Amino acid sequence: MATSTSTVTKPCKDRRQVLVMRFTAGERIAHWVHFIAFTILLGTGLFLYMPALRPFAVGEAGEASRLAHRAAAILFMAAPLIYLIWSPRDFFYSLREALTWGPDDLGWLRAAWGYYTRGDTARMPPQGKYNAGQKFNALTQIITFILFVVSGMIMWFGKGVVSPAVFVGSVIIHDLSMMATVALFILHIYLVAVHPLMRESITAMFEGTVTEEFAREHHGKWLAEQEQERVYRRCRDE
Amino acid sequence: MSRLAMLFDASRCIGCKSCQVACKQWWGLPASETVQAGTYENPTDLEPNTWARVTFHEYEADGQFQWLFLAWGCVHCTQAACVDVCPTGALKHHALGFVSLEREACNGCGYCSQVCPFQVPRMETVNLLTGAARASKCTFCQDRATNGLTPACVKTCPPGALEWGERDALLEKAHARVEWLKSRGYAQAQVYGERELGGLGRLFVLTAPPEAYGLPANPQYSTLAASWQNVVQPLGYVAVAATTLGLAFNWLATRRARLSNLESVEPEATEEREA
Repeated sequence: MATSTSTVTKPCKDRRQVLVMRFTAGERIAHWVHFIAFTILLGTGLFLYMPALRPFAVGEAGEASRLAHRAAAILFMAAPLIYLIWSPRDFFYSLREALTWGPDDLGWLRAAWGYYTRGDTARMPPQGKYNAGQKFNALTQIITFILFVVSGMIMWFGKGVVSPAVFVGSVIIHDLSMMATVALFILHIYLVAVHPLMRESITAMFEGTVTEEFAREHHGKWLAEQEQERVYRRCRDE
Repeated sequence: MSRLAMLFDASRCIGCKSCQVACKQWWGLPASETVQAGTYENPTDLEPNTWARVTFHEYEADGQFQWLFLAWGCVHCTQAACVDVCPTGALKHHALGFVSLEREACNGCGYCSQVCPFQVPRMETVNLLTGAARASKCTFCQDRATNGLTPACVKTCPPGALEWGERDALLEKAHARVEWLKSRGYAQAQVYGERELGGLGRLFVLTAPPEAYGLPANPQYSTLAASWQNVVQPLGYVAVAATTLGLAFNWLATRRARLSNLESVEPEATEEREA
């Protein structure tokens, strides 16, 4: 939030050019580190999962892919730390958001179908920085992160130390966490890159900003909050 | 071809460890440096370099002391936990009836070493950090067996305590031997391996209960291990298919809703539709 967060003193020439800061540099870098780590982990993990990919799992190829998996695991574990250290304020803000559920989240659930098919915004209550779907995604990410790390550490360092049941249990928990995150990953990619009505949200993760119009439509409660604070705004190309 | 198996007759074993040495010799396995552990067992456990060994057990029955010997190594289960969990296919059920191990295919994950109810597979761990390792275990000399030869240990056994052949014939022999032993006063004589875990490839004629030899009376392995690849993993495909299908429906619904919205008015939006 250090750069480009100064209050806009003069109004932008075109209202559509008003940009609102949505993700700080720390948030974006943590997100992309997580993304890269997750894709490597998924790719190398699938070698052991899908019989068709067995050539990558056997012998020396298998050892190389495990090495890549473990290196990516360190990156994966580092991502939330990057977030915490770089943008502590946003880290705790997002965490609090994800853990706070209210009537507007129920409203989101009721209005979600119309909203995500017809773009029917009328019945959608204004959402905070994260809507109920995003909160659900965040919670699943937090829970599976813990499950991934604990079961992964047991598989890495616990061989012969923990009981066979705990070891096999860890393998299965690792797999189940993968299934949950892959389903969410597909949904996530769909919403930001394929869904005809939501595409602007991806620019927020690249450039950090969204147009005020998008923010009002999708995260009205949050935008109001930002307006009170009078930060996070700038005009495009100025 | 019917299933091949090995029969170990404990009542004939003299504890000479020739089988242990023959195994090392055939496979070119180096000996490991050991210390005197107060037992004739040497080494005192299976190792990455020791796939077969003789175990020694002190046993007392009816006030009489006995020394029991057991030629130990992989027992080649029919319901093999190691095969169930192996993610590389390095461990397989060979058509001849044993559990084969393709060392070049093994990536060293070590799952087999964790689930085996007999703690047989051993990992040669090169590096804990990278996980570089290889599993090892007795394969009934898969190279010899597939070429019509008997395993090295059987070939060498001086008292003929080890035999190699068709499983059914060996079982018949084992039961006859047990009857004979019983008639000679070995009341506890019994066959081990006939039905355990679907039937073992290594059959035993024992003169005392299995526990006296350090064998589990009722070997089992967890349903978790058995269900991982067969039940849990297929769920992943279901999850991905269901998600993708759901999103495809959503995409179609959104597209339709959008087109009908555009059709109503908005001249600039029609351009977008055409593009």
